Amino acid sequence: MPPKKPSLYSLDKTTVAFALASVILVIGLVWMVLQDSTREWKGWQRKFMTYMHEKSVAERDQTLKAVNQGELKRLQTELDQAKAVVKERQKDIRKAQKELDIINTRQIKIKTSYQNLKQFQDSDRYYYEEDEEHHEKEKAEPYAKAMEARAKEIAEWKNKLEDVEAEQAAKQSEINQWTGKVTELEREKARLERDVTTVETKIKNFTPTLAKEILNAPMLDFIHPTLQVQQIVVEKLQDDYYFAKAQKVDRCITCHLGIDQKGLEDAPQPFRTHPNLDLYLSSNSPHKMEEFGCTTCHGGSGQSVSFTTAAHTPRSPAQAAEWHKKYGWESLDYWADKMLPLNHVEASCAKCHTGAVEVPQAPQLNEGRRLAAEFGCFGCHKVEGVERWKVGPDLQHIQSKLDADWIVRWLHNPKEFRHSTKMPQIFDVENTSDPESLDKNAAAIAGIAAYLMKHSDPIALTAPSAAGDSEKGKKLVEEIGCLGCHTSQGFSANHHGPELTGMGSKVKTDWLFSWLKDPKHYSPGTRMPNLRLSDQEAADITAFLMSDRNEKFEGIRAPYVKPEVVSSMTVEFLSSTMRHEDAEKKLTEMSPEDQLEFIGSKMIAHQGCFGCHDIKGFEDAKPIGVELTYEGSKDLSKFDFGFVNVPRTKQDWIAQKIRNPRGYDHGKVKPYFEKLKMPHFGFTDEQANALATFVLSLQKADIPMDMRKTLTETEKETETGRLIVQKMNCQGCHTVDGVDGRVRAMMTDAGAMPPVLTGEGKKVKEAWLYHFLKAPVTIRPWLHYRMPTFEFHDKDLTSLVSYFNHLSDVPARYVADELPQTTPEMLKEGKNLFEQLQCIKCHKSNPEPGLSASFLAPDLVMAKNRLRPDWILDWLKDPQAVQEGTMMPAFWPEGASPLPDVLEGSADKQVQAVRDYLMAFHPEEEKKAPVPETKA
Amino acid sequence: MKKFMFVLMAGLFVCSQAALAGNVTGSAAFSGTAPAKTEIVMAADPTCASLHTEPVYTEEAVVNSNNTLKNVFVYVKTGLEGKTFPAATTPVSFDQNGCHYMPHVTGVMVGQPLEIINSDSTLHNVHSLAKESKEFNLGMPIKGMKIKKTFEKPEIMVKMKCDVHPWMNAYVGVVSNPFFAVTGEDGSFEIKDLPAGTYTLAAWHETFGEQTAEVTVADGQPATANFSFSG
Repeated sequence: MPPKKPSLYSLDKTTVAFALASVILVIGLVWMVLQDSTREWKGWQRKFMTYMHEKSVAERDQTLKAVNQGELKRLQTELDQAKAVVKERQKDIRKAQKELDIINTRQIKIKTSYQNLKQFQDSDRYYYEEDEEHHEKEKAEPYAKAMEARAKEIAEWKNKLEDVEAEQAAKQSEINQWTGKVTELEREKARLERDVTTVETKIKNFTPTLAKEILNAPMLDFIHPTLQVQQIVVEKLQDDYYFAKAQKVDRCITCHLGIDQKGLEDAPQPFRTHPNLDLYLSSNSPHKMEEFGCTTCHGGSGQSVSFTTAAHTPRSPAQAAEWHKKYGWESLDYWADKMLPLNHVEASCAKCHTGAVEVPQAPQLNEGRRLAAEFGCFGCHKVEGVERWKVGPDLQHIQSKLDADWIVRWLHNPKEFRHSTKMPQIFDVENTSDPESLDKNAAAIAGIAAYLMKHSDPIALTAPSAAGDSEKGKKLVEEIGCLGCHTSQGFSANHHGPELTGMGSKVKTDWLFSWLKDPKHYSPGTRMPNLRLSDQEAADITAFLMSDRNEKFEGIRAPYVKPEVVSSMTVEFLSSTMRHEDAEKKLTEMSPEDQLEFIGSKMIAHQGCFGCHDIKGFEDAKPIGVELTYEGSKDLSKFDFGFVNVPRTKQDWIAQKIRNPRGYDHGKVKPYFEKLKMPHFGFTDEQANALATFVLSLQKADIPMDMRKTLTETEKETETGRLIVQKMNCQGCHTVDGVDGRVRAMMTDAGAMPPVLTGEGKKVKEAWLYHFLKAPVTIRPWLHYRMPTFEFHDKDLTSLVSYFNHLSDVPARYVADELPQTTPEMLKEGKNLFEQLQCIKCHKSNPEPGLSASFLAPDLVMAKNRLRPDWILDWLKDPQAVQEGTMMPAFWPEGASPLPDVLEGSADKQVQAVRDYLMAFHPEEEKKAPVPETKA
Repeated sequence: MKKFMFVLMAGLFVCSQAALAGNVTGSAAFSGTAPAKTEIVMAADPTCASLHTEPVYTEEAVVNSNNTLKNVFVYVKTGLEGKTFPAATTPVSFDQNGCHYMPHVTGVMVGQPLEIINSDSTLHNVHSLAKESKEFNLGMPIKGMKIKKTFEKPEIMVKMKCDVHPWMNAYVGVVSNPFFAVTGEDGSFEIKDLPAGTYTLAAWHETFGEQTAEVTVADGQPATANFSFSG
């Protein structure tokens, strides 16, 4: 035994270490391979294969049933017979085939020779042309000769080729007489079984095979596995990872394997078809899968392929629990861009659809935006690109309208006076209900009332010139159009304006009368239109509205305002701009009234009342709320959840904030003026969710211009008009733009309802509509509803006219006096028809008094200036088709004329004659056209 | 012999068919005080006014002298489910006469033509306010004009009105079987050849609402169903 060589290491120990390391490595390797082959998405893909296999097998049975078995049997029999014939003639066929082969060989040889000759010819031609070009006649000459000589030869070979090809065809048809039938029948059979074959292929694709198993086996699956991560690389979009931008890669379809396939609508998740393939994913939809990917709309981590790391977001805590149990789901607290839950997914539409009042097929987003405008959210929160207007009443002349006491009681609890008011609760809410805050609230409210009264100018009011009749006033409110915006006494079709309740406990009689007569006199910016009421009508309505009192509200006694609290608040406000000592000194110079007024002005600034109301002294004040232009893109970490137990997501934070704006102060110790101050609107869960969707939609999206929805000029004009229609509540009365006039549902007689404006652009002329909207005139004297005067600006008028044109797809035509071409004969017959059909019976200019309402129809003198000539034709032919339920009868039902002797009895010509006559109609004619008495 | 048997069988078949149907008669009694008559003022259209020398009254509640109701529409409400009947081809007349609809209440089968006539020398429009069938509104300016219209679906009742003469209105009951009747001057009605079975008959009146009655028809026996309305 040789002596051990001295070494620096121990061989035994090393061996042990190596052995140990290799065991660990082997275990590690096995563990790694196992991990990889059991990845979540592979499981889903396997399940999908099984599911599709089962589905295809079931489908095959269905398709088999659909195949015409009788036809199939017949084809098979014929095919068998044809094949038998082929077998019988095998010898002949083989012989013919051999002969054909010989001919084919010959044909190839001939063709080659022919083509060679042609090539030589081309070559000679080239040299000839070149020499000619260089004026080298002697050189060119031999080429010309050679070409001439070869031309004959070429012609000969061409003939030979044609002969052999004819021979070929003859032989082929000889063979076909035996075998042709088989080919034809086989083709027919395949056509019949096509669907079955497709399914069979599908089944084959989804059937597990050994080959597939091997390809997917651990360690071998790097070659060409059938289970693969599927991904969409979205070329034009990028994901922002804070420090770097990376191309958007969505791997959602690794598990959502059926998302773009029709027919998997009932499949279990994650294999189900997308619910709206017409709008999304499919290649003919506006949002193609390859262009938009998935996470552009849904959010989440597109590159991840596990349920949890893809950042799926549950819709409710219940779903969260269910997911946790089923898929081991956990909330990804540190992943900012989580998936939007389905009920907020519409927020993503606004990434590309900007500048529109209504995003098509996004009802929740649209509702959120509408609510935000209606409740004046933009008064405090700036949002770039959104029009702002003050939604509350003008307070610059408030002292002429009501008294300070009312304001105090109102500010303490607006809903106590009018349950449906949009005025939010500002004071005495969750975070200001402790005794100290309550004292301060009382002082603040008294201060605001004092300030408003002092800083308002009196305005000239008119007293009702006649005694009002409350009963008549009630009827007027119900019939004249007030309900087109207001709710009154159980008639509740609209909530656009304030509910007409308790007015007797609020305003001064003279104010109400003056307001009704001319709302813009008191408040130039008001949306309340002028109904052109007579003094008597206004007096009646005033009497009716003033008769309604809210006694409970009148009985409320406002909390006592402690002078020491007023003083301390004054000092507190003063201290923000001067030393405490100076503030104390200043206080001594102020009377109690001055102090009240002072804290009032400070509280108005603090609460931002001027966001909704016009208040003197605050004309240029900046809105007090957080700007929301990019609120949806704000980091989750910047949302202060405080001690409130809501899921840590933006949508939950926002919805909770909207539901309970002061809630996040819960458990916090804050001085009075640092407390949260967003007022309480009393939104329902549904409204809060819609608003949350809208707020989430306000985001900075990095989308290239060509992928965004850019509005065309037409669409922009339509949207501008649509906004005016929404703002002025035209749909409160009129059916237009797909919305039913809201008051119409309260009526039964279609003839008494405000007009349907669907197709108005097609019906009336631009110039007429412009002037009508500017200063409405009575068109339908039988309607109690009155089109009010809105005193639109010129810009709004043109926008509205364009809007109506665009809705009807009618280009604007600036033709001053558009008259159809006609002939004296047509006019004569038109007049004749006009009389015989007794049009004047209903279309009277000056109806006799005492006639029943439905006796009347629009004065036809207006037709010439008002109606488009083409529309009159459509209308006369079938009034019901243009406007369902109209009182205008059809005189040519189903194209049949009641007067066969006029204009050859042609309904079309008669209609045209009446139209032509109408367009030339003068008021004097009516007097000359008495209703004829047809002799029996 | 065979021929005799055939005739016998055929005879029996016909008899059995007859024996399995019966007529239902009855009346619509009225108790309480009859509403006061309302006179129609036709001054708005002089042509209409000139057609009448006697006063004309509205017909929303006509109580006959024997304390029965006129213009009650009686029809089979239940009991005929699943049975289909071909639409009658004879048109039902609906006349505008003296600026008045005649009759005020009538019935028609689905698909059976309603022949609308204008016997006046003034413009009428006949406006059907059908909810189930397609609404129509026809102008009838010429005296003697006739237009036939049909209804596509059953409806109790379709209101007809004239927008030119607001006092003119009438009701048409649209049913899917031929078993209906309208009470006349004596308040009685008769529904003929109702197949044997148990039915719920309903009697509809414009002002006094709807009443129902159970009736069983058997073996060619006449059955009765009486309704009573109160004012």
